Formats: sequence, structure tokens, C-alpha cells
Amino acid sequence: MSTLKNIPVVSHEKPSGGTGNLLANVFDELMAFCRSRSLFMLHYCTGCGAIELPPAMTSRFDMERLGIQPMVTPRQADILLVTGYVSTKTLKRIILTYEQMNSPKYVIGICSCTVNGGMYWQSYATAKKLNDYLPVDMYIAGCMPRPEAVIHGLRELMENIKKGESDNWRDYYRRYDHYLGNQQRLFGENWQTPTDIIGEARHYDLMGPETLGPHTALLEQHQTPLKPFEMTLGLADLPVRKDEPR
Amino acid sequence: MTSLDLLLILSGLTTLAGFAFGNHRAYPWLAGIVLTAQIVILASMPLPMAAGFGFEMFGHPVGWQMDGFGRFFALITLGAALASVAYTGGEWGERYAAGGKNLRWLHGALAGNVLAMLLLLASGDLIAFFIGWELTSWAGFLLMAQGGERALRAAMRYVPYAMAGAMAVLGGLVLSLTWTGTLDLSQLVMLVPGLANWKLALLLALFGTGFAIKMGLLPVHLWQTPAYAEAPGAATAFLGAISSRMGLFGFGLLLVKLITLTRLADLSFIDGLFSARDLIEWVAALTIVLPTFTALKQNDARYLLAWHGIGQSGYMLLGLVIGDATGSAGGLLHVFNHATYQAALVLSVFAVMHRTGTADLNSMGGLVTRMPLTFLVMLLGIIGLAGLPPMNGFVSKWLIYRSLMIEGRPLLFLMTVLGTLGTILSVYKLIHNTFLGQLRAEHEQIREAPWSMLVPMLALVALAFVTGVAPGLALNYVNEAQAALGLPVMAHTLGGVESPRGSLDMLWIVGVLFAGFGIGALLFYGAGGRSKRIHQLDNYAGGHFLSADVRYQYSDHFYAGLMHRIGPLYRGSFTQMEAALASANDLLASLMQAWYRQAVPALTLLIATVLGLAWMIWR
Repeated sequence: MSTLKNIPVVSHEKPSGGTGNLLANVFDELMAFCRSRSLFMLHYCTGCGAIELPPAMTSRFDMERLGIQPMVTPRQADILLVTGYVSTKTLKRIILTYEQMNSPKYVIGICSCTVNGGMYWQSYATAKKLNDYLPVDMYIAGCMPRPEAVIHGLRELMENIKKGESDNWRDYYRRYDHYLGNQQRLFGENWQTPTDIIGEARHYDLMGPETLGPHTALLEQHQTPLKPFEMTLGLADLPVRKDEPR
Repeated sequence: MTSLDLLLILSGLTTLAGFAFGNHRAYPWLAGIVLTAQIVILASMPLPMAAGFGFEMFGHPVGWQMDGFGRFFALITLGAALASVAYTGGEWGERYAAGGKNLRWLHGALAGNVLAMLLLLASGDLIAFFIGWELTSWAGFLLMAQGGERALRAAMRYVPYAMAGAMAVLGGLVLSLTWTGTLDLSQLVMLVPGLANWKLALLLALFGTGFAIKMGLLPVHLWQTPAYAEAPGAATAFLGAISSRMGLFGFGLLLVKLITLTRLADLSFIDGLFSARDLIEWVAALTIVLPTFTALKQNDARYLLAWHGIGQSGYMLLGLVIGDATGSAGGLLHVFNHATYQAALVLSVFAVMHRTGTADLNSMGGLVTRMPLTFLVMLLGIIGLAGLPPMNGFVSKWLIYRSLMIEGRPLLFLMTVLGTLGTILSVYKLIHNTFLGQLRAEHEQIREAPWSMLVPMLALVALAFVTGVAPGLALNYVNEAQAALGLPVMAHTLGGVESPRGSLDMLWIVGVLFAGFGIGALLFYGAGGRSKRIHQLDNYAGGHFLSADVRYQYSDHFYAGLMHRIGPLYRGSFTQMEAALASANDLLASLMQAWYRQAVPALTLLIATVLGLAWMIWR
């Protein structure tokens, strides 16, 4: 695990030839361009790297000129920014937050701690490599990286998005079993989030060869799926409230 | 027998039937049919229509006559009563009766209110008016007092207000008889404007006090909120929709017909700067703003709506007193519009109460998945209350805004806009805390309200929507009312107003609005229409893992940021004023009591008798 080669690399298989519709590609490129110029980021500020974000966001470096601005909820956010060491306890929250984001979504790990644990390498309670648990699109290394580096990293990400090279979020669905396995190793066998990744993968046609596996089988054994409330008239079929006087 | 006689007889029979067998299953159907028949009779009645009966009192003929102004209010009264009877008729009434309450009294009081209001609205002279006025007050009291102990206390609070108002109206009646020698409205119309300024001012003060109390104008509005909010279900809807508009009816007669707006503008307090008309306009404007922002602080849905009932009446009076064609049409139209959506809103709140057992805005939430049709009613209702298209509240408010701008009253315009801002904020609180957000575990099993409650609610919002898209339907009756009052009549089309002073075509506005929705729908469904419904516990709370026992929807202290700014402005001055008046009254009463009961009663009585006899002999 300690060599670079072991970091899972996403294979970008573009459908060769496509549908033959020239306009389809034009549209895709337009979409990619627009997407790269309008990024809302949810910063999950776990460590000291957070202190570099205010200058990056405000007038000195002004990341909003690039179309990047902070967002308060994961549902509307495009980027999940993790800015420092990730303890086991925090990692659960980060995974939940990531899973609640809508695709396409990108993860940026800031500071050395997200790359390899940094100065917390010897800590028993710190997750060392973020991309064992989440598909990270961009690492910005440094202890801490200066705002110039943050901006540089964000521009790289924008470039990747524009070129269509940054689609690691698909990887989370395609190889969910791999990520879930790492999560289970850290958090225990009965680890689960309220989100239904497998259901989403089915719903959006994102199933891959490693979506299902031994770890997802383990998950299904003890998972109690949450059934969303259907909007229903229920005039006759629903039971009466117990204490409802008749 | 004229058709007005028939109308009043039918109304009287409904009242008797309500008291006699209002708890019978057939009564709501019967009352519904009779009320519908009354609406048909009233709508097809040629105007003015005199009643075939009447009597003489102290040499003054007392008679009833319906004109366009009265008919406009009477139609709304009957419509509101129809919706209330239908709502009460089904499961709601059954549970009300099962809870040990008297359904006969509720139905009887409701029908009695209608009768009293019809008698008031059709009055042809001041004695008939006063009879109708008193009947309306007492019938209103009867209806308010039905809702249990708290309701009774609120209704008792109304009694001194109503009696003070009635005494003031009676005083005005006696003065106008002394000064003009007649009580007949058609003659008073010619004689009253010729009176001296101070006499007019006194009449305005006396009649105005009575009407202001009924209408809930500042500063005599405090009785109204608890009295209306605590009344049972459909009674609250009826009271909120039309009952206090009787005060506006009185103001219409007094200000526009008797005193006339030009004479009102002559009554200057500061020469050329501030007239009685300005005073009334500003009282109306303050009545819009202050109660609306009080509504913002309410945590009980019924109280919130009742405060809005007071606030919205300010728009009506303001429109009426501006007195041009547009403004008065807006003010009068707002009476109808407010009745439709306010009744629907109140009924939806009671539908939620019927299922959840509470109207506390801090203990609900997420009910949209369980009561979607009730949600729809409340959504359309608050759109109307906030005065946004496509509902009818937008049309009347637009007319009032327009008239304020044209007539050059920018400050009043600002006040109305401020009131609308407060309305939007508070109705958002209402629908958010009731229907949006997290569904509580104890509410997971509840069902939609029964059809007997849904149908009147849906019919009311449908009416509010239709008259929003085609306000011309309601403006016909408004024009009649304007003509009967002697106001300039606003020319209108089916879709709104077409005039060089400003045009409004709701058909176009609603068309464009729905075209916008259509484009959005095309984009969404054209792109595949993919959506995924997620569970409410799959929600973001800073990464916190939510479970059913964790509350993540906070409704308490809803507008904390706003209250930080404007909170210190709420000082309860009116409540303090009421308390001061009450204790002054107490003091006076105990002094009187001490005088005639405790301190040597025989001597006091002797002195009084001697003095009285001496005065009579000397005279």
C-alpha cells in the first residue's frame, strides 16, 4: 500500500466512436465547460489547512472570479474540500457528506495529512490516505499549502473537468465494494450510512464490475433501508393514528 | 312578499332549524341547499329591493332595503356560511359532538350570525341599522363562546368592547336624529354633509369608534385575535372571513355615503395639513403594519391567521378611503378576496388540527407527505394572503397600490408594502412549520383530512384562483357596490382593468406564469425527468448521523435574525393601554359602588331624591 503504484488509478474509458452524432459531443463539451466554470464547494474543514481558505476565497486571491464559491449544503455542492487530517470519527461524517452530494462531484484533499497522514502518520486514530475511502480528484500537498497553491489546484481541477478527465465520482459507484471494504475495515462490520449507493447506481445506470462484492453482501446483511415517505392521499388505506379519537 | 322577505325568512328558518335539530345528519344538507338558494335569490335580486315588512318606532318608520353595497357583503356572508356548514357537516362535526360539545348551538349560532348580518346589511334607516348591529354583536358573541373555556374568556373580553361600540353607535344615532330630524338613510345622505364641521367630527368619532371596534382597527383591536382564534373550527373561518367586515360596511356607509369623502377632507385638525381623512388613512395603514408584524411572532397557527385578519382589514379601509375608482374597487374587492383565502387557510389549519390535535407551530412539520391536499390549500391560500399572482389577493392589492401611487401617497404606499413584507414572512413561517421539513415520528401514521373537510377548502381556493385569473367576475359586484355608495365606478374587463391610469390583465399574467412552469417542466422531462426520492433522515446536519429522535428542523424562534433587529420594537403598548383602561374602569366602578351601597345608603338616596325633585321643580 505504501507505493504509489498501489494507489488505485481510474481508467478513463471513453466510448470510442460514440453515437456518431457530432452535436452530442459539442453539447457535452459545452456542458463540461459550464460545469468547470461554476463550482460550488462544501469545505469540510477538519484541520489547520482551513486557515488558508479565507484568503483564497476573499479579495486577495478571490476564487469567485473562477466561478468557485462556498456552499452550505452537500445537495447543491460540487466540490468536497477536506482540509487536513481526518480522524476515524471525522471520516464517517465526511463519507456521509460525500454520499449526500449530487453527481458529478469532486473531492479535493488539501494538506499532507490527507495524502499520507502527514505529521499524524503514527496516530492510531487518523485515516492516513483519503483516497482509500473516497475517490479523490485532486491532492494539494503542503503543510500547509499557501493560497496560491490552493488556487493552482482548483485551476487544475477545472482544467480536468473541462477536458472530461475528472470523473472519479463514477469510480465510487463502479468500485463501491472496494471503498466499502476499506470503510468496513476501519469502522467495523456494521458500518452503514443512510444513503443507498447501490440503489443510486442502479437508478442512474452506474453499475460497474465491482459495485457489488463480498463487502456489499455484508452490508446488506444488517442494513435497514430507509423507505422514503411517498406523498400519498391515503384516504382509505392508511391506518388510523392510535390515539385518534373516532 | 318581496324576494328580500323570502331571503330573510329562509335565513330565519335556517337559524331555527339549526337550534332545533342542528345535530341531525340531514341538517348540513338542508342548510347547504337553503344557503345555496339564498345565494341564488340574492344574486338574481333586482336592486334596490325593499322588504315588504316594517314598523314604526317613536314615529320613525323602520324598514329594510337591500342595495348593491349591502348585497356585495351579503353574498360573501352567505358563501362563507355555506363553506362553514359543509365543513362542519361531516367528520369534524361528529367529533365535535362526540367531544361533548353542542352541535345544535354551533349550527344555530352560525345561521343566526348570517341572519343578523343580512338584517344589518339590508337596513334602510338607522334604527334598523342599530338593530342589525346589536344582533350581529350578540350573535358573534354566541359563536365565539362555543369553543370551550378559553374561547368563553376571549368572548367575555369582547363584551365590554362590543357594548362600548354599541353605545357609541347609539350616541351617534341620537345626535344625527337631533341635528337632522330623520333616521332614514336616504334623507340623511342629503342632510348630513350640510352639518357644521364640529357636528360631523362628533358623528365621526361616535360612529367611527363603534365601527372601528367591530372591525378591529388600531387601537381597539385586541379583543379580536383570541375571540376569533379560539372559536371552534368552521366558526373561526366564518368569523375571520366576514364577521368583522361589518365594521367596514359601517365605515362605507358613514365615510363615503353620509359624511362623504370631500367633507371628510374638510375636517382639518391642522389647517390644510392633516384632515380627518388623513387620520383614517394613517390608522388604516398602521392597522396593516402593526398586527401583521405581531402575526409574525405567533406560535399558534390560528392566532397567526387571526392577526392577519386584522392586518388585512387595513388594506380594505385604506382602499375605500382613498376613494378613487381604482382604490375603492381594490378595497372592496379585497373584502371578497380575503374572505375566500382566509376561510380556506383557517379551514386547512383546523384540518391539520383535526388530524394532529395541535395548532402549535413548534410541534408540527413535514406533514406535506401525509396531507398533500391540505398542503395545496394552504399553499394557494398563503399565496393569496401574501398578495402574489395567480391568486385573487394580488389583484385587490395591486389596485390599492396603484391607486396610492397615482393619488400621490408615497408614504402610505410604503406602509402597505411593509405590511406585505410582514405577511410574506409570517405565512412562510406558517407553511414551513406545518408542512415542510421533518415529519415527526408521532405524525407518521396520520392521514389526509376527510372529503367533507377537503371539499369546502378546495372549493374556496378554487374560487380564489378563478377570481384571481378572471377578477372581472367579482368586479361586477364591486362596481354595483361602488355605484350604490356613490363612488366613481371602475371600468373593468374579465382579466382586470383596462384604463389609461394603469392596466392589469390577469389572463396574461397567469398565462405567462404557467408558461414559465411549462418551460421548466419541458426542460426537466425533456432531459429524462430523472429524480430520486430520498428519506428525510438522509439529510445534511454538518455530517451528523440523523435518527428519528433527532430534531433537525428548528421552528422555535423562527426569525431570530430579524427579531434581533426589530424585537425591541414589540413593547405591548396596546395591551398596557387596555389594562390601564380596564383598571381605570374598575376604579370608577368601585367608587360608584362605594357611593350607592356602602356609605350611608339611606342618606345618599335621600340627598339624590331631594336634589332630583328640586331640579325638576326648578326646571
